[in-house]
Amino acid sequence: MMLFYFQRLIEIYPFFLKGLWMTVAVSGISLVFGTIFGLVLGILRASGNKFFVAIIGVYVAVIRGTPFVVQIFIVFFILPEWGIQLDAFPAAIISLTILATAFICEIVAGGIKAVPNGQWEAAASSGLNIFQQLRYVIVPQSLQTILPPLVGQYVLLIKDSSVVSVIGVVELTRVGWVTVNRIPEGLMVFSLVGVLYFAISYPLIRLSNRLEKKMATQQVML
Amino acid sequence: MIKFKGVNKWFGKLHVLRDIDLHVSPGEVVVVCGPSGSGKSTLIRCINRLEKFQKGELFVDGTPLHDHSTNLTKLRAEIGFVFQQFHLYPHMTALQNVALAPINVRKMKRADAEALAHEKLARVGLADKADAHPTQLSGGQQQRVAIARGLAMSPKIMLFDEPTSALDPEMIGEVLDVMVKLASEGMTMCVVTHEMGFARQVAHRVIFMDEGSLVETGKPHDFFANPQTDRAAQFISKILTH
Repeated sequence: MMLFYFQRLIEIYPFFLKGLWMTVAVSGISLVFGTIFGLVLGILRASGNKFFVAIIGVYVAVIRGTPFVVQIFIVFFILPEWGIQLDAFPAAIISLTILATAFICEIVAGGIKAVPNGQWEAAASSGLNIFQQLRYVIVPQSLQTILPPLVGQYVLLIKDSSVVSVIGVVELTRVGWVTVNRIPEGLMVFSLVGVLYFAISYPLIRLSNRLEKKMATQQVML
Repeated sequence: MIKFKGVNKWFGKLHVLRDIDLHVSPGEVVVVCGPSGSGKSTLIRCINRLEKFQKGELFVDGTPLHDHSTNLTKLRAEIGFVFQQFHLYPHMTALQNVALAPINVRKMKRADAEALAHEKLARVGLADKADAHPTQLSGGQQQRVAIARGLAMSPKIMLFDEPTSALDPEMIGEVLDVMVKLASEGMTMCVVTHEMGFARQVAHRVIFMDEGSLVETGKPHDFFANPQTDRAAQFISKILTH
C-alpha cells in the first residue's frame, strides 16, 4: 500500500512543484518589498527623529506582539469591510510584507546605530548631504552588521509563509493539506513538504553562516 | 571670516559656551587652548555646526549659522574638519577617502577627482599610500590622510580638533609639519591643541578658554611669556613643566 501511495505521490509531483513555486513567489516578492521598506523604516528609526521613532516603534511592537495568522486574517477580512475585494495572493503578499518589514527594520536600525557617530560627523563635515552620507559612508559600513541576521531572517520569513495557506493560497503547505486528503499517508506527504522547504532554506542558512564568518574577519581588519 | 557674537551654548543645564565673542580674519591661524572641559572643542565644532548653540550670532564666511534656514551642506563643503580620532572611512582606500566628497559634492569626474586626491596625498607626504586602507596606516598617516581629505575640497577654513592628541609621540611631528606648511600657505585655521611648540611657531593668536568662557587672547609670545590672568598662568605652567 505504501508503495502504491508513493507512486501516486510521484505521479502528482507537478502539483508539488506548483506549490513550491507559489511559496517561492509569495515569500520572494514579500522579501523584496520587506527589504526595501525595512531599509527605509530602519534608517528612519535609527535617525533619532522622535516622531518616526515613536510611530515605527508602535508598528514593530504590534507586529511582533501578535500572531502572524491573526495578522493575515485581519488583512484578508478588513479590506472587504472597506469595499476592497482582495484575492488570497495579494492579501498574502501584503501581510507577509508587513511582517517582513517589521523584522527587517529592526535589523537595519541596529546595523545603522552600530556605525560610530564620528563617521556621520566626518561625512557631514565634508559637505555630503544626508542621502550621500547614508549611501557612501553609513550603509556600506552597517552592511557588515546587517547582512548575516538579514539572511537568517529571510529563512524565518520563508518558513512563516506557510501560514498564508490558511486563506487558501495554494503554496507548499496547502499542497500538503490537499494531497493528504487523497493520499492518506500524512508522514510521507509532509516529509516531502518538509524536504522542499528545506531545499529553499538550507542554501540561505549556509549563506548566512558564510557571511557571518566573512564579516567577522573583516571586522578584525577594521 | 569667522565672527562669534555673544554665542552661548548649553548641554542640558551645563553652560558650555558663555558669551563668546571672537573674530578670525582670512589667513589667520588661531590656536585654542585650555583645560579639558573648557569648551574649546565645542567652540570649533560650532563653526561648521556639528554643534548647535542656543543664543548669539555666528557668521562664517558671511553665512549666518544662527539662522536655521542656512544650507549647512553647502557651508560645510567650504570648511575642512580634522578630528582627534581621524574618522577615516574604514571601508575605503586612502584615495577613495580623499576623492569621495570632490566626486559627490563638487561633481567632479572620477578621474579628475582621483588625480586631485593623488595630488593632495602627495602634499601630505603619502603619495605611496593611495591604495592602503586606513587599518594599514599608522595613526600619523591616518591623520595626514584626514587632512588631505579636508584639503581636497579646497576649503576656505580648516578646523582641527586636537589633531595630535590620539597619536603616539613619535608621530606628532609628521602631522604638525603638514599643518605648519598649510599655515605658511595662508590657510585660515582654527586649531584646538596643546602643542605649544606649534602655537609659538605658526599661530597669529592664542586663545585661552576656561569653563566655557574666552578668558584670554593674545599673540603667542606674549601669551606664554606674560599671561594676563591667573588661570592662564596656571595652565601654562602646568603644560610647560610636563
